[in-house]
Amino acid sequence: MAKDAEKSTWKDFIWNSRTREFCGRTGSSWGLILLFYLVFYIFLAGMFCLTMYVMLQTLDDYKPTWQDRLGTPGMMIRPRGQAMEISYNTTNTETWDMYIKTLDNFLSPYNNSLQAEKNEECTPDQYFIQADSGDVKNNPKRSCQFNRTFLEKCSGLDDHTYGYQAGKPCIIIKLNRVIGMLPGKDGQAPFVTCGAKKEDSDKIGEVEYYPENGTFNLMYYPYYGKKAQVNYSQPLVAIKFLNITLNEDINIECRIISNNIPPGSVRDKFAGKVSFKLRINTKG
Amino acid sequence: MGDKDGKSSPSKKNKKGKDMDELKKEVPITEHKMSIEECCRKFNTDIVQGLTNAKAAEFLIRDGPNCLTPPPTTPEWIKFCRQLFGGFSILLWTGAILCFLAYAIQAATEDEPAGDNLYLGIVLSVVVVVTGCFSYFQEAKSSKIMESFKNMVPQQALVIREGEKMTINAEEVVAGDLVEVKGGDRIPADLRVVSAHGCKVDNSSLTGESEPQSRSPDCTHDNPLETRNVAFFSTNCVEGTARGIVVCTGDRTVMGRIATLTSGLESGKTPIAKEIEHFIHLITGVAVFLGITFFILAVCLGYTWLEAVIFLIGIIVANVPEGLLATVTVCLTLTAKRMAKKNCLVKNLEAVETLGSTSTICSDKTGTLTQNRMTVAHMWFDNQIHEADTTEDQSGASFDKTSASWAALARVAALCNRAVFKAGQDQLPILKRDTAGDASESALLKCIELSCGSVKQIREKNKKVAEIPFNSTNKYQLSVHETEDPNDNRYLLVMKGAPERILDRCTTIIIQGKEQPMDEEMKESFQNAYMELGGLGERVLGFCHLLMPEDQYPKGFAFDCDDVNFTTESLCFVGLMSMIDPPRAAVPDAVGKCRSAGIKVIMVTGDHPITAKAIAKGVGIISEGNETVEDIASRLNIPVSQVNPRDAKACVIHGTDLKELSQDQMDDILRNHTEIVFARTSPQQKLIIVEGCQRLGAIVAVTGDGVNDSPALKKADIGVAMGISGSDVSKQAADMILLDDNFASIVTGVEEGRLIFDNLKKSIAYTLTSNIPEITPFLLFIIVNIPLPLGTITILCIDLGTDMVPAISLAYEAAESDIMKRQPRNPTRDKLVNERLISIAYGQIGMIQALGGFFSYFVILAENGFLPSILVGIRLNWDDRACNDLEDSYGQQWTYEQRKIVEFTCHTAFFVSIVVVQWADVIVCKTRRNSVFQQGMKNKILIFGLFEETALAAFLSYTPGMDVALRMFPLKPSWWFCAVPYSVLIFVYDEIRKLLIRRNPGGKWLSLSLCITFRPESCHEICICNFTHKSLIDTKTRKLSNASLFSSPTLSSYRLGGKGDILLSDGYRLYSYPYIFHLFLPPFIPSLARHVFRCPTP
Repeated sequence: MAKDAEKSTWKDFIWNSRTREFCGRTGSSWGLILLFYLVFYIFLAGMFCLTMYVMLQTLDDYKPTWQDRLGTPGMMIRPRGQAMEISYNTTNTETWDMYIKTLDNFLSPYNNSLQAEKNEECTPDQYFIQADSGDVKNNPKRSCQFNRTFLEKCSGLDDHTYGYQAGKPCIIIKLNRVIGMLPGKDGQAPFVTCGAKKEDSDKIGEVEYYPENGTFNLMYYPYYGKKAQVNYSQPLVAIKFLNITLNEDINIECRIISNNIPPGSVRDKFAGKVSFKLRINTKG
Repeated sequence: MGDKDGKSSPSKKNKKGKDMDELKKEVPITEHKMSIEECCRKFNTDIVQGLTNAKAAEFLIRDGPNCLTPPPTTPEWIKFCRQLFGGFSILLWTGAILCFLAYAIQAATEDEPAGDNLYLGIVLSVVVVVTGCFSYFQEAKSSKIMESFKNMVPQQALVIREGEKMTINAEEVVAGDLVEVKGGDRIPADLRVVSAHGCKVDNSSLTGESEPQSRSPDCTHDNPLETRNVAFFSTNCVEGTARGIVVCTGDRTVMGRIATLTSGLESGKTPIAKEIEHFIHLITGVAVFLGITFFILAVCLGYTWLEAVIFLIGIIVANVPEGLLATVTVCLTLTAKRMAKKNCLVKNLEAVETLGSTSTICSDKTGTLTQNRMTVAHMWFDNQIHEADTTEDQSGASFDKTSASWAALARVAALCNRAVFKAGQDQLPILKRDTAGDASESALLKCIELSCGSVKQIREKNKKVAEIPFNSTNKYQLSVHETEDPNDNRYLLVMKGAPERILDRCTTIIIQGKEQPMDEEMKESFQNAYMELGGLGERVLGFCHLLMPEDQYPKGFAFDCDDVNFTTESLCFVGLMSMIDPPRAAVPDAVGKCRSAGIKVIMVTGDHPITAKAIAKGVGIISEGNETVEDIASRLNIPVSQVNPRDAKACVIHGTDLKELSQDQMDDILRNHTEIVFARTSPQQKLIIVEGCQRLGAIVAVTGDGVNDSPALKKADIGVAMGISGSDVSKQAADMILLDDNFASIVTGVEEGRLIFDNLKKSIAYTLTSNIPEITPFLLFIIVNIPLPLGTITILCIDLGTDMVPAISLAYEAAESDIMKRQPRNPTRDKLVNERLISIAYGQIGMIQALGGFFSYFVILAENGFLPSILVGIRLNWDDRACNDLEDSYGQQWTYEQRKIVEFTCHTAFFVSIVVVQWADVIVCKTRRNSVFQQGMKNKILIFGLFEETALAAFLSYTPGMDVALRMFPLKPSWWFCAVPYSVLIFVYDEIRKLLIRRNPGGKWLSLSLCITFRPESCHEICICNFTHKSLIDTKTRKLSNASLFSSPTLSSYRLGGKGDILLSDGYRLYSYPYIFHLFLPPFIPSLARHVFRCPTP
């Protein structure tokens, strides 16, 4: 008997036909509740938008409020490979074709013609500072040319395979853009140096850097942000492995050498350095 | 466990059920009605020789040893497991298991699985285990297992077998044994007395009668519990000797049956356990609903099935309030401690709240409501009734002590009295001293000692020369003394006894110190006084004296008491004194408080109806002006059968009548009478009464001290035993023990229970609120692919860190209104956590909090270069370890670690924001109706909690090393203030909400108006319609006519079942008993509170 009663109350709870109640409330009651929540949430959304608007008003358009997490700029390579692992087979075109494409795409903005059209030649070895005069913004800011030919053998102009087919691959290294960063003092430009990790040190063979010494010329700094400096060309360094040991995993680490950039945190493997794995197979 | 057993063997359960029903029936002893010879024949025994040894051995094998089967004790590890897996814990365990499952899936499918789920699972398990241990030890501390039934079994017994007296182990006593007991012994088994010499037994633990009962071989009553010729197992023989045939042994004895009944009873779940279960259902419902919804969404958005399953688990687990178990446990413990300080010791933590939900209290009389001490209450001399002071502290009224008649009465009472104070108690107040002697003589002794000084001196001055002790044939006691005046050589004869017997022996009476002849008029006024005092439930004694003429009884006359050689007639009547076990001083007030708190107080006693009714009237269980059917009959001078039982709100029901009642009749009585006294009830009937109340939906508290109360104590939702006078058995069966035996402590219990229920509600509302800002980040992470705004570790820091102290501090919150002026909560309607609470916590406050958190999240990302516009959809790149040149809105590039630090800073800021919005939340949760400005900020623990959570948040954010340990990073000072506007919004919003509630107490938007109409054709149908405030006030002044009640247009109607009530709206509750409707109005309109409408009988 008690069970019957329970059953009917449960059914009644879902839809009580006598009082016309759904889940214990009439339609108008549910309607009022929904209306209340609608109004309430619209109000909340309005309040949120207002606070967001106020917050966005406090931001500078050209420079983020805080940059303290970017003290040591990150470094990155192209092609990126699969999780920082570049491995291919010289005999199998398909395994390295994508690297070539990546590099082609990546370097196409650096074509000399494009650079000449958009950017200007600057005085090398000194910062290209374009200060604002007070409130008057000196915009848009000009950028310096970084021509693809600076990369010489790694420019992909002469060797369309960037040395991949020959087992002498090019890797392009770039330093992350950070607004206002001046990467060297006393006119000394930062440069990249690569080496193998511990046990692989004898397997890395000879490495060539382009531009010479693997330097990032000071004239490309400081960076003024993508709004002020629309056509900024990030300077690059290419390295070419001339006689790397084949058919073996080789762990390579490249780091920036500068008298101005603090060493990154131990946890961050990409602050001021970049490590990757290279494996070139020759056998089918 | 028990359930499982029951399922596997239904027959066993049925059998058990049958046994229990059997036990609930009355004692089946019939031997008392048999003659001794019949008895002997029945047990194959001999009245002189006893059993033969062979027979005894045979019976011992047949019946088993004469001892009680110990109640099945639950092993400690099962108790521990119950703490570990009971109620709330099961929710957390489920969460933990889901976490491990999710981690297992991740570990199997991903190379580098995130450890979050694993950590969360471990933390959840640790929390459950730690809280489980905590509550286990807490309970183990307050409930020491007392194997009291075992202790009650007497060690040795003197039996006669084959004509030889032998002392044997009491366990070897068998039915049919001839047993001898003497004063000081414990009765070894249920005995049919065959011979007795001045034997008295103390049955108080069994029947509740406070004084020793004499035993004799004659059957004086059909009821075995009341007849004189049965002595019961494990009661005490106080004085005299007796010989009897054993009729029952072991578990078959009356005491054994009570013990088996008690240990066999399953007490149901406590109300708070039911509430927590309901809460778990709600939370699980919300969690599963959210989980499934987002599972479907995730699948639609193109996540893989496995990912979606992990999301599903994550969302379900995120709904588990990790800290709530600990919070609830601590809150209950704190209240238990507070109650212990006020002399309420709680054995079971969950029982802390039960008294607060109690709607009916069934109270034993003796020792609970009364002092369990006979005290002189009235005297009759000089043709006038005088009232004596019965209060414990002698604060009551006094009477005229100058009359010479009083001096004479006092002298008789002092001299004709064998009771003495035990030695070495001179420092104690007189009423607290122990005496040797029977209860009424001790009462007289104390009364005289109080009003006339040392009785010892009076007795020394009036040396006793002869004495005839009380016996049941004479019904008087007399002694002969020398007089105080050394020159007066007359002897003084003093006598006391049953008033009518004393009156018969008197020819004169003392009025104002002068002897006057006893005329008819005097006799009538004596009769009136005797009837009146008897009607008060008091035991009346008559006193008379005689100065013996010196010529007949010269000095040195040898009084022979065995063969009376002196006159015992034509005495001089002095007066009457009547005694009662008076109510404790604090009880009437406590009963009144229970009444105003809407709790029905029922008296259930083993004592006589007249005494019970007198005490009930004395303490207000039957309130002034309320009459029983019998009262109405005598007032109107009509037979009882002509009185409409509906007219009487009070009733006194005798145990023998109760036996005849059907279940429906019983329900009817319980439902229709507001003031009930059950007298002469057996332990089984007490149980039936409790079950009857529970059947009607009441939450029942039982108070008692005797063994006879223990089944009812066990069955009750909360059994309350007396700490000082209570038997061990009752203490073991009870959930709560009143250390000072004071019924008034129950009021404290009710108050604390109601307060903790309210405050738990607040704590839960507070804790649940932060669930929304904890879940929404994960939901948005899944749906709009933003970097995760709040991580698992930070969630745990909130739930188990910053939220804890403020949540617990709410347990210290003072009541908002007079909680003792409102009705007990209705367990079917007033839930600990209801949809409304969830709606406010999750839908409103929680949402504001989430926005506050998200705002600081967006602020930090934006100030670091990631504007909200690029965040949507960034998740895949953001969480890609190989992507170390992710571009922000300004064109800068970020390594994985760099942006993760920003993300973790966001977690920290989100966490801090939750702390900031929880400031407002805890202040908002302080009150449910009042404004904070009305309530004040007097809760120091709460203020401490506010500072503590802030300090903890700062500590977690700024301590060096936290970046590695908990992945929390220091915040810029400005980020602390991001959530402040939202905190303010919460406060303002809730104050406005409460203001609206206070303005419109009905919860309707329009001005509230309600009225009640009764459909004459069916009392189960009531209608609720509009009417204005004005007519409400009219109702109060009783001017609202029936016409206006019935003419109002109906809005909607509710059909009511036989029990329960309906909630009209927030504070308005309509109780529906078939014939009486109570309309209870909220306490803030005190003048309108509580009206009873009677439905016209169909």
